[in-house]
Formats: sequence, structure tokens, C-alpha cells
Amino acid sequence: MQLVVNVIVLASLYCLICCGYVLVYRASRVLNLAHGEIMTLGGYFLLSITLVTTGNPFVSLGLAVCASLLVGLVVYFALMKFMAGESVFAAVLVTVALGILLRGLITLIWTSQSWHPLENLGLTNTGHKLLGNAVISTFGIAAVLSAIALYVALFVCLKFTRWGLRMRAVGENPLLASQRGIDIHKYYSLSWGLAAFSGGLAGIIMACDSGLEPNMYVIGLMAFPVVLVGGLDSLGGVIPGSLVVALAQVAAISISPQASEVAPFIVLLCMLLIRPWGLFGTKEEWERV
Amino acid sequence: MSKRGVLLAVSMMLMLICWSAAWAADPYVVGFSAALTGPGSGTYAPVKDAFDVYFNEVNSKGGINGHPVKIIFEDNAAQPSKAASDAKKFATQDKVILMMNASLSSTFAPMVQVAEKSNIPILFAAAVCPAEVYPPKPDRNEFCSTAFAAKYDSRFAIKFIKEEAKGPVKLSLVAMNIPVSRGEIDFAAELASKTEGFTVLGKEAIPPPTPDFTPFASKIKDSGANWVYAWAPWETEVKTLEALRKLGWTGKFLAWAHIQAEEDLERLKDDNFYVFGTNAFFADDSAMHKKIKEAALKAKTIYPYQKLTEGWIAAMVLDQILKRTAWPATPEKVRDAMNELKVELAGLRGGPLVWTKENHFRTVNYYRVYKWDSASKRIKNVKDWTAIEVK
Repeated sequence: MQLVVNVIVLASLYCLICCGYVLVYRASRVLNLAHGEIMTLGGYFLLSITLVTTGNPFVSLGLAVCASLLVGLVVYFALMKFMAGESVFAAVLVTVALGILLRGLITLIWTSQSWHPLENLGLTNTGHKLLGNAVISTFGIAAVLSAIALYVALFVCLKFTRWGLRMRAVGENPLLASQRGIDIHKYYSLSWGLAAFSGGLAGIIMACDSGLEPNMYVIGLMAFPVVLVGGLDSLGGVIPGSLVVALAQVAAISISPQASEVAPFIVLLCMLLIRPWGLFGTKEEWERV
Repeated sequence: MSKRGVLLAVSMMLMLICWSAAWAADPYVVGFSAALTGPGSGTYAPVKDAFDVYFNEVNSKGGINGHPVKIIFEDNAAQPSKAASDAKKFATQDKVILMMNASLSSTFAPMVQVAEKSNIPILFAAAVCPAEVYPPKPDRNEFCSTAFAAKYDSRFAIKFIKEEAKGPVKLSLVAMNIPVSRGEIDFAAELASKTEGFTVLGKEAIPPPTPDFTPFASKIKDSGANWVYAWAPWETEVKTLEALRKLGWTGKFLAWAHIQAEEDLERLKDDNFYVFGTNAFFADDSAMHKKIKEAALKAKTIYPYQKLTEGWIAAMVLDQILKRTAWPATPEKVRDAMNELKVELAGLRGGPLVWTKENHFRTVNYYRVYKWDSASKRIKNVKDWTAIEVK
């Protein structure tokens, strides 16, 4: 039972992280290689907010995710907007540079030391007993519930709201969408904002669960196989992709902890051999990549 | 004397004065390649703070032997390629008399290679001591002042667990998945099972970037361990412990006391969390601790004063080396000074740091164990300085 809980918690974290990769890719066909740094920034926003305010912890958490969303919007309007019309490769290189810049800024502002924002929030991260003697931590539950809420909200919005329809239209054919009077920059920025929001949320949960350090961004890169396993352009594919990768990783620990490091990449290699466009990705996208 | 003669004499005198003034102002130049950013920088970067505070004071008082000390810091970001280029720069461009390293062990080989080629001694400070500094035949250019050292630490740790455990020990071991940490844990496992008769249940070498430590902790808990020994970077040690506690594991946990240990003992307030090391904690409130605290607060250091001990010790060692290096300083003179060195570290370690030609590590290593004590609500010294002779 504990194995199941461990897989679900890890998969939930991957779902939160990878949602951002897919949202940006679907909207603008750009692989955002600075997503790990944007995720880490979410945790540092929480830390800064908790250092200056001593009020309600939920307000601090809310402000931190809003700040993450704002970062996504700023990144788009200050940087990525100017890459419209340029080659996708150039845009990806810009995200690489952005990642390096953010890493430097994080170290300059918050130094290299570890931080524990949970202390400042006045919350505790205790274990909760489940069926079969399994235990889940408070922020493990937060990860699972956040992932469920995020995906349900995204499904409803993308499927049943006007802006969701427009966002999909912009992602599928930006030229046609633009000719139909849709402001593509508005929807591109929205996808960047939502991507930063979900990544920031993952960063905040991880910061509360096990502390904050500048190298947390590596986890964002580690989660990348999930996106390719699920399908680069499939938001729904992230959920099975996360579960498969998390299961492989947790199962590998029982064989050898070192094996857990390579397990996601073994799953990815298998997927590339059998179905290169991922579980729910589209073949056309794979050919494009 | 003719006018021309007077002019010549005055010119000569002026030249001599200028030359001797310039000579007196020439600094002792030391090159320091450290992981100020990147993996492990939380442990290594505070060294720079300590050096800045320490040598600013030394230089403000006229330097050493009448010469200022110039430390050239380069950030190697824990990358071997950057460490190699730093070392080349130090040797060829900066003409340093000594190189220093505070970074991951993967940066050692490229720096040592340059040090050997250019015949410049290299001092490891805050970075794990390489085996090449150990007696009886250390490498002529490699020296180490760092608290933690493979092979010696686990000898003390396993003995301490034996003393502290009331009954049979079922031991799980935790490492980070990097060669130096894995090697030490393998050594500890052998020592524990063969020498002390512990039941060694498993060795967990946890990958450095891990989103969730619970799966690793679950495995340790399910194995039935009543003791866990961790010798790894601090984040791996403390995050494994926290994950174990969340799962309801109530056993005892012994970890190497990195510079973050004191802060985290106070944060976690866990009576069964023991940390051992060779540096004294600020909880002791020794005169030396007061001095470091005061200097750090005055200089408004980036890192909190509790994290400066390791760097301060390295600075004291360098101070002593340079005092024993007559001007004009050369790498050869520095090496000679290092081959016969004794640095008094009262208040910071259990005894002096002594180097000889045959021992570039230390002749005696002193260990201490601390833990949080809920009854007194403070950090408690569980086992006082224990000397282990290094042969």
C-alpha cells in the first residue's frame, strides 16, 4: 500500500511540473527549458513572502502562486513575444539562456543555502495514516489534491469556455486564429502564465515538503521524460505518463536506489522505440520535432 | 661631487625607495576555486564569507610579514572543467603560491593535475579530504584542513553507535549517489558487520536530485532498521531523516555534521537525531565562537555565522602557513611551511591541526557528537572530544 501512495504522490508532483511543459508546447511549439528554474522560483517567492508577512499561511501560499503566474506573463511579454516568427530552435535557446539567468538571480538574491519556508508559515508537515498502514505527509496530500484540482480546472476551461476554445485554436493554427480576430499574444501569454503557475505550485509544495535550495531546478529537467512518454502535445497524456514514470522509479528503488535515477530514461527509451510520439501525443507533432 | 653625481645618487635613492615600497606592498597571492554556485554550494560557498572577514582584518592590520594577502576567488560551480580552467589561470596568469579548493570531489583531479604540473601546493578546505593527503606517503603537493574525511569518520561513527545502542543494532546506511559518499558507506557497512557484528540491512545511495525522499525512506523503514547512519551531503542526510519521521519511524539517526547541522538540529528538535563531526558548535559559546559571531555580524556576511566555522579554520591554517613563508614567497617555500605546521584551534576543534612531511591530513582527529535535548531545550554535547590517532 505504501508503494501505491509513494507512486501517486510522485506522479502528482510530475503532473504539476509537466503540465507547464505541455501548455507552452501546445500553444507555441516551444520546449521551455527554463521551466525547472521557474518552478524553483515559486518556492523562493513563498519564502520571501513568509519572511515579510506573518499573517495567514494560506494567503502567503496564494500570493506565491499568483507571483509565479505573473512570472510566466512577464517572461512572455518581456522575452518570448519577440521570438514570434523566429525559428523554434532560437526560441528554445532563449529559454536555455533564461534558465541560466534565473539560476544566477536565485543564488544572488537568496544565496546557496537551504531554506525551510514551512517554518515561517507556522505549518507542520506530519504523516497521516491511511489504509494498510500506509502513510502520507500533509504536503503529499497537497500535491495529490492540487494535481487533481489543476487538471479538472484545465479540462473544464479548455473544453467548455470561450477562452479555452480560443487557446486551443491558437495552439492548432495561430495564423488562422489571428485572421479570425483572436489576439494570439493574449493566449500565448496565458499559456505561459498557466505553465508558470503549475510549475510554481509544484515548487511551493516541494519547498514545504522538503526544503528549498537553488539546485531544485534539476527536478524540473528530471520530469521531462514524463512529457515525452505521455505525448509532447497532450495534456491528458501527462497523467498516464507521470504514473508510468513514477511507478518505474519507485519500483526501481526496491531493486537499487541508483536504478531509480535511470528508470525514467529507460521508460523513455522504450517509449521512443515502440511509440515515439508518446502515449497520447500526435504523430504529426513527432514528425515536426 | 659634481652636479651629475648628485643627480645620479638622488635618482638611485629614489629608485631604491620606490622599489622597496613596491616590494613591501607585493601581496601573498592565493588562488581559491570554490563551488560558490551549483551542487553542494550551500556547504562550500560560506568559506568565501569567512575568508573575506578574516583576511580583511589581517590586511587592515598590515598583512602577514608586512605583506597583504590577496585571495583570488573563482566560482567553479562544482564543474570539473571550470575547476581545471581556474587552476590553469591561477598557475599561469595569477602566479599564485598556493591553490585552494572547496568543491565537489569531481573537481579535485583536474586541479591536482595542474598543481602537479606547475609544482604548486594545493589545500583542500571545506571539501572532502582526498585519500592522497593521508599518511604515511601523502602526495607532496596535496594538503587538507577539512573536517570530514573518508575512512576515518566511519570508524568513529560505527564505534559510537555500538556505545550508544542499548541492544542489537539493525543498521541501514544512507549515501548520496556520488563515488565518495558511496565508497564511505561501503566501508562503513563492512566495518559494522565484520568488526562490530551489526546486522546491516541495506545501503541506500540516493540520487542527488530527488523530488520525494519518501520511497527511499519507506524502504529503510520496511527493512526494520533501528539505527541509520548517513555520510552524505547535508540535504541527503536531513531529508532522508525527515521522510523517515513522516512515515512514523522512531529509530536513531546518526549523520555527519556539516555546517548546516547546528541550524537543523534546532529546527527539527529531534531527540534521536545525532550528528558527529570535528568542529565545535556555536552552542558551546567559546571565546572563538564569540569572535567569529561578532566579526560576521559586523561584516554583515551573506551566510549566517553558524556556517563560517569550516572557512574560519581554513583561514587560520592559511594565516599560519603564510606566517611561516618568508618573503619573497614561492610555492616551494609554502610547501616547506605546510610540511611542518601546527595550528592551534582551541574552541573550534578538539586539538591542534598538525601536518608533517608524512601526514598532510592531521596527526590526531578529534570527534564530538551533538543532538537536540528536549528536556533542556538546547543542543547537547552527547560525547565529548574523542581523539583518534591518524597513522
